[in-house]
Amino acid sequence: MIRAGLALIRALIWAWVLFNAGMVAWVLLNSLKSSREIFDNPAGLPATWMWENFATAWSDSGLGAAAINSVVLTLVSVLLIMALSVPAAYAVARLGGRSSGPVATFFAVGMSIPFQAFAVPMVLIGAGLSRFMIDWVTGAWDTRITVTLFYVVLSLPFSIFVLIGYFRSLPGDVEEAAALDGASPFRTFLQIMVPLAKPGITTVAVLNALSLWNETVIVLMLVPEQSAQTLNVALLNFYSNMQYTSNWGGLFAGVVIVVLPMIATYLWFGRRIVNGMTQGIGK
Amino acid sequence: MTVTVSDTVPRAPSDDRRATSSRGALQGERRRLYLPMLLPALIAYLVFFVLPSLFGVVLSFAEWSGLGTELSWVGFANYVAMAGSELFRASFVQTLILTLVVGLALFLIAGASMIVLRTARGSAFIRAAVFLPFMISPIAVGLAVSFLFNPDGLINAALGALGLTELRQPWLAPELIFNVIMAGVVWSAAGFYVVLVMSAVDGIPPSYYEVARIEGASELQQFRYVTLPLTRDMLAIAASLWAIAGIKTFEIVIAFVGTAGTPPPEARTLAVEQYLRVTGGREGGLAQLGEAAAIGIVMTVITAVLIVLSRRIQRRERLELA
Repeated sequence: MIRAGLALIRALIWAWVLFNAGMVAWVLLNSLKSSREIFDNPAGLPATWMWENFATAWSDSGLGAAAINSVVLTLVSVLLIMALSVPAAYAVARLGGRSSGPVATFFAVGMSIPFQAFAVPMVLIGAGLSRFMIDWVTGAWDTRITVTLFYVVLSLPFSIFVLIGYFRSLPGDVEEAAALDGASPFRTFLQIMVPLAKPGITTVAVLNALSLWNETVIVLMLVPEQSAQTLNVALLNFYSNMQYTSNWGGLFAGVVIVVLPMIATYLWFGRRIVNGMTQGIGK
Repeated sequence: MTVTVSDTVPRAPSDDRRATSSRGALQGERRRLYLPMLLPALIAYLVFFVLPSLFGVVLSFAEWSGLGTELSWVGFANYVAMAGSELFRASFVQTLILTLVVGLALFLIAGASMIVLRTARGSAFIRAAVFLPFMISPIAVGLAVSFLFNPDGLINAALGALGLTELRQPWLAPELIFNVIMAGVVWSAAGFYVVLVMSAVDGIPPSYYEVARIEGASELQQFRYVTLPLTRDMLAIAASLWAIAGIKTFEIVIAFVGTAGTPPPEARTLAVEQYLRVTGGREGGLAQLGEAAAIGIVMTVITAVLIVLSRRIQRRERLELA
C-alpha cells in the first residue's frame, strides 16, 4: 500500500519532468508553424518549417527594438547594482562597527515589502523626475533612465543581503596578511577580497539579470511609448493585437525570443543559479 | 521575510585576538572606509525606496489623480470606499484564495518530493528540470498556459482525442479562468519550493536515516520522524517566501488577457486591481492614486500577517546538525 503510494509519487514527479520538457518542445514547435497549423495540428511536427515567424516577430512586431531595450536596461542596471551593493556589503560585513547589524537588517526589510506598496510613489517620482529634467535641466528625458533607477534601488536589498553573507563567510586572515604587506584597506578590498568573492558576486549578478529580464510591471507603469518598452511588454502588446493579426506563429516565436536567453543562462550557470536562489535566501 | 531573514544574518566574527598598536591604526583606517563604501547604496535605498514607500502610506489617506491635479486629504475614505467596492472585495478574496490554495498545493508537492526525492535515482536531473519554469518570464508562462487552455487549444483537443468530449470546457470563461491561472502559478513556482526544501533535506546526516531504518521505520515514518522535524525551519522560510510572492501575483493574470483587454473581475488579484487604478484602466479613465496606494498598504499588511503566521511553523530552539 505504502510502496504503491511512493511509486505513484515517483511516477507523478517523472510525469512533471516530462511535462516541462513537453512544454518547451511544444512552444519551440509552435514557433515554427504557420498560424493555421498551430490550431489544425497542435501536437505534431510542422509541415513547413516557418523560420520567417522569427523575422516577422523581430521586425514587424517590434520585438527586435524591445530586445535591445531589454538587453541594455538589464546590463546597465546590473552593473550599477553591483557597483553599489558590492562595496556596501563589504563595508557591512567586514568594516562595520556597531551599526552594521542594524544596517543589514534595514536592507533586509526591503525584501519583504511588496512592490505594490511602492508602486504609486514610484509612478509619481517618475513623472516628477521627467518633468523636472525637461523643464529645468536637460530639456529632454528618457523614461528608460527612470526604469533603470528603480531597477537598481529595488534590487539593492536582495543583492546586499546575499553579498553580506558571502563576504562574512570569507576567511579574515587574508585581509590581515594583505595589511601586513602594506596594502591599504581599499586596495585589500579591490584586489584581494573582490576576486575571492567572485563566485558569489557572479551569482548575484546573474540572479539580478534573470529577474530584471523577466520584469514587466515597472515598465508597464513607467514607459508609455512602445518604442522604449522591453521584451515582456512588447510580447503583451503583440498578444493584444492578435485579434487583428492572428499571427500565432509569430507570437510563439516571440515567446521563444524572451525565453531562450534565460534557458541558455540556466544551462550555462545551472547549479549556481539554483543554489544562489535557494541557499542565499534560505540561510 | 523581514523577520525570518533579518535575525539569521550571521554575526561578524569578533576581532579581539591581537590588539597591537599597528593593528589599532589599521582598524582606524578600515573604519574610515566604512561610510564611503556604504553610503552610496544606503542613500539610494533610503531616498528612492524607503522614503517613497512611507510616502505611499501618506498617499493612501488622500485623493489624487497625479501631478498637476488637486490633492485632497480624505482620511480613511479610500479604505472605506474599498471595503464597499465589489471589485476590491472580489480581488481581495481571490488574492487570499490564490495564496492559500496554491500555497497548499506547493506544500503538498514539496512534501511528497521530500519523501521520494532523497533517494530517487536521477534526483539532480529531476530538480533541474522541475526548477526550469521558475526561471522563465511569468508573461511567457501565462501566454503558453492560456493558449494551452484555449477553447481550440491542446487540452481540449487532447480530451477530444481521448474520447472524453464531455470533459472539454471553455477553460478561459470567467467561471473557470481563475482556476487555470492558479494551475499556471503552481506549475511555474512548484520547482523552486521543491529545490528549496530539498536543500534542507540534503543537510540531514544520512546516519539519521540509517538508524531509523535499522529501527524498522518505513519511508513514511522516516519522513514523519526524521525529515519533517529537521526541516521545519526551512518550511517556515518557504512559507514566508510564498506569502511574499503569492500576494503579488500579477504578470500571469495580465498575460491571460494582454495589455489591450481588462481582466474579468473573476480573474483579478489585488496587484491587478491596483495596476488598473494606477494607469486609469485601459479605457483611459482617471488614475485613482489614493485608492491604488491604499491597496498597496493592504497588501503589505496581509503579507506581514502571513509572514508572522509562517513563523509559527519554525522550531522554538535552534538546531545544530553535526
